[in-house]
Amino acid sequence: MVLFLAGLGCCVLGLVAAMVLSIERRVVVASLSGSLGCLLTFVAASHVLISGRAASFHSSLLLPLNGVSLTLDPLGALFVAMTSFVGIATLVYYVGYAKSELRSRTALSLLLLFLMSLLSVPAASSVVTLMFSWEFMALSSMLLIMVEQRRHVEARSAAQWYGAMTQLGAASILLGLLLLSLKSGQTFGDIRAHASAMSPTLRSFAFVLTLIGFASKAGAVPFHVWLPKAHPEAPSHVSALMSSAMVAMGVYGIVRVGDDLLAGGTLWWWVVVVALGVVSALFGALHAVTSVDLKRLLAYSTIDILGLVLIGVGCSGALAATGHPGDAHLALIGALLLVVSHASFKGCLFLGAGAVERATGSRSLDQLGGLIRRIPITTALFGVGALSIVAVPAFSGFTSEWLLLQGLLHGFVDKSSPTLIVLLVGVVALALTGGLTAVTFVKAIGIGFLGQARSTGAASAHEVPRAMQFGMGILCIPCVALGVAPGLVIPLVSRAADVGSASVVSRSVENGIGLTLDHVRGAIEPMLLLAGFLMIVALISGVKSLLRRPARKVEAWRGGGDRPTARMQYTATSYAEPLQRVFADVLRPEIDVEVTHAVESHYYEQSLSYESRVDDAVERLAYQPVIRTFTRVGLAARRLQNGSVHRYLAFGFVALLIVLVVLA
Amino acid sequence: MSTSFYVGALELTTGAVLVCAVMTLWRRQVRTIVTMLRLQGVALASVAGVLAWHERDLGLAITAALVLAVKGALVPWLLRRVIRLDPRSRETAPLINVPASLVSAAFLIVVSYVVSSKLTALAPSAASRLVPVGVATVLVGYFMLVTRRRSVSQIVGLLLVDNGIGLVTFLLTAGVPLIVELGSTLDVLLVVVVLQVLVVNAGARHGSFDLDQMRELHD
Repeated sequence: MVLFLAGLGCCVLGLVAAMVLSIERRVVVASLSGSLGCLLTFVAASHVLISGRAASFHSSLLLPLNGVSLTLDPLGALFVAMTSFVGIATLVYYVGYAKSELRSRTALSLLLLFLMSLLSVPAASSVVTLMFSWEFMALSSMLLIMVEQRRHVEARSAAQWYGAMTQLGAASILLGLLLLSLKSGQTFGDIRAHASAMSPTLRSFAFVLTLIGFASKAGAVPFHVWLPKAHPEAPSHVSALMSSAMVAMGVYGIVRVGDDLLAGGTLWWWVVVVALGVVSALFGALHAVTSVDLKRLLAYSTIDILGLVLIGVGCSGALAATGHPGDAHLALIGALLLVVSHASFKGCLFLGAGAVERATGSRSLDQLGGLIRRIPITTALFGVGALSIVAVPAFSGFTSEWLLLQGLLHGFVDKSSPTLIVLLVGVVALALTGGLTAVTFVKAIGIGFLGQARSTGAASAHEVPRAMQFGMGILCIPCVALGVAPGLVIPLVSRAADVGSASVVSRSVENGIGLTLDHVRGAIEPMLLLAGFLMIVALISGVKSLLRRPARKVEAWRGGGDRPTARMQYTATSYAEPLQRVFADVLRPEIDVEVTHAVESHYYEQSLSYESRVDDAVERLAYQPVIRTFTRVGLAARRLQNGSVHRYLAFGFVALLIVLVVLA
Repeated sequence: MSTSFYVGALELTTGAVLVCAVMTLWRRQVRTIVTMLRLQGVALASVAGVLAWHERDLGLAITAALVLAVKGALVPWLLRRVIRLDPRSRETAPLINVPASLVSAAFLIVVSYVVSSKLTALAPSAASRLVPVGVATVLVGYFMLVTRRRSVSQIVGLLLVDNGIGLVTFLLTAGVPLIVELGSTLDVLLVVVVLQVLVVNAGARHGSFDLDQMRELHD
């Protein structure tokens, strides 16, 4: 615990440095100090995970009334470790990335503040501490989105959306937690002790309230609208932190409240969670496929992956509620591992998108192309992230989705019908989104990095500074490590998943470099898989080199064209068009086709432009009407206010009379 | 002092407070209104005096003297100075005309009787039976605040509210501790002084000080 506090202390030092030092020194000094802090918290959290012993700290000096209580138990420590790892990578990246506004005192100190609040949310062990850190997290990230608002005007509206949604979510969480702590004290230990004595209705009510808040943070449809706005508009290091660490706090909250504080609960809670997960996974995946903006694509894929996580968490809860703690434990390990690997690959991808934007000046896939030759290192690092997210074996995404699938599939055996349906829907959603994610990232890599440059910016791209590559590289380590040697990490995650009723089964996972599941007889050895794959590659290339014939140069068939140009390639829009057509009922795309005819003849067209936009249907159908109504009511209320003092006095007078008459 | 004399005196003085309040709504001349306010201050002081006599309470007697000095003399004198300095504020210029104001006052008095019936029922006594009169004074004062345009009448409205509150306090509790009464009286004095300075300065700067024209400060 001392290490954890020292880590936070280092962040505070960085904060002071950010405010005091001159612009040349402050970026490096503050980042170094922040990274050191993250390193310390990482070590502290790893120690808790390895030893399995929780550490706690209480001080009544820092906050009035109830003071600050922090506890690092394995579940919280997993999230702290994950956040500090991403934090180190982000700060290293930031040293190279920071330019103009991003180097200001505000931007730098907000970044460190955001990091500190992210670290303290999973460590908080009382309602007040949790809400305090939660609000700090929300506010600092909202301001960070706005840092570049002078140049990106959209950032303002994104921050507005984000602010409104996060505050509503926080209010909902606060209400739920207050309901929980109504009878008991406000520390988590008290709530845990009194939870079983609460009435079932109150428990359900509290769970649903906190679920709404946490799900909105985790970007679950229909509470996701802020996410595809905020993530693309934020500076890339902030998007990486938000997408990998902050969004995960939503999952942490659901697991903490549902599995830990309320110790399981009833089946329908978890069915709701699975439903949220399924809808978000499919919705996110479909929008990611059709997105053209690279960062928007990544944002929607965050919704997709977090949806899968929610499916895992929900199925785990459902299995636990129907009395299958072993499978529940397995599904929860899968979900938590997916959160961890999402943090690494999505952090890497967002940092990569930032590097691409810095190198080419654009993040629209239709403006990119041919980057693999101009910026090979960034491409390779982005590629590792992409391989990981599409769950190619020997990368982290594969391990976590395999575990999740094992948990769901083994839950099938002779179960009551509601659970069976839940699991079945979960598996189907997992499979479908897996396919869509693959298409998405084939598009991102194929259109964005391969082929020929589609704009001068892409044609003249230059490799980004070393620090940025280094930052991405740090995040690639867990992407590969979790995929190749999952046995080293899974015991730690399994300890973190020992919450609530799932802790009945102490060990369902075997140690070792590979992975063996005890009671369901499943095993993978990614090392062997990788070795086998490499052998096959070596074999094929060997055979090929043996059978090589001298190359023959011939003219390619050109289909009437003179030379292949960049415009003949597939674009991101055209690549996604068939899928967009298939899912038109869900996506509701808006398509503009504009044809200009030649002056001489109407039968010849001079130019043709095709534009398709996929708006968020949930936003259009569910949010816009509410906003319109509010605006109308607000405008009507404005008529009451004409600035006349007499009118205000009269309001007071009438109110006084009404109160008197009502009370009498 | 016999009980019937005490009751009669209390009813007379209390009634005078309310009558003065209604009179301020009736008259248009600001000078007359200030006179009414002075009479009301005297009436309020007499209420306190009668109660002090009946309770044989020295503190209350001092309070009565204090009320007489501040509300019967000092405040009206300050207001007269304002009127002299700002010649435009001779007329009250009501937003609602006088007959309508009087009808509203009657309505407010009825409301206050209805409203404070519960309060009276708590501890029926000669003094607490008269609480509705105090409440009515408060409401009439508030009504004046809402419907009169000139700043001096606004001050008068505020003072009526304060007098009404004072009356209710006297009638219900037979006087609050002297120190509290001292504080609240000084508060009122301060408010009047501040308003006077404000009116005179604003008059010098903008040429007038009508609350209606304050609307320009809005957005």
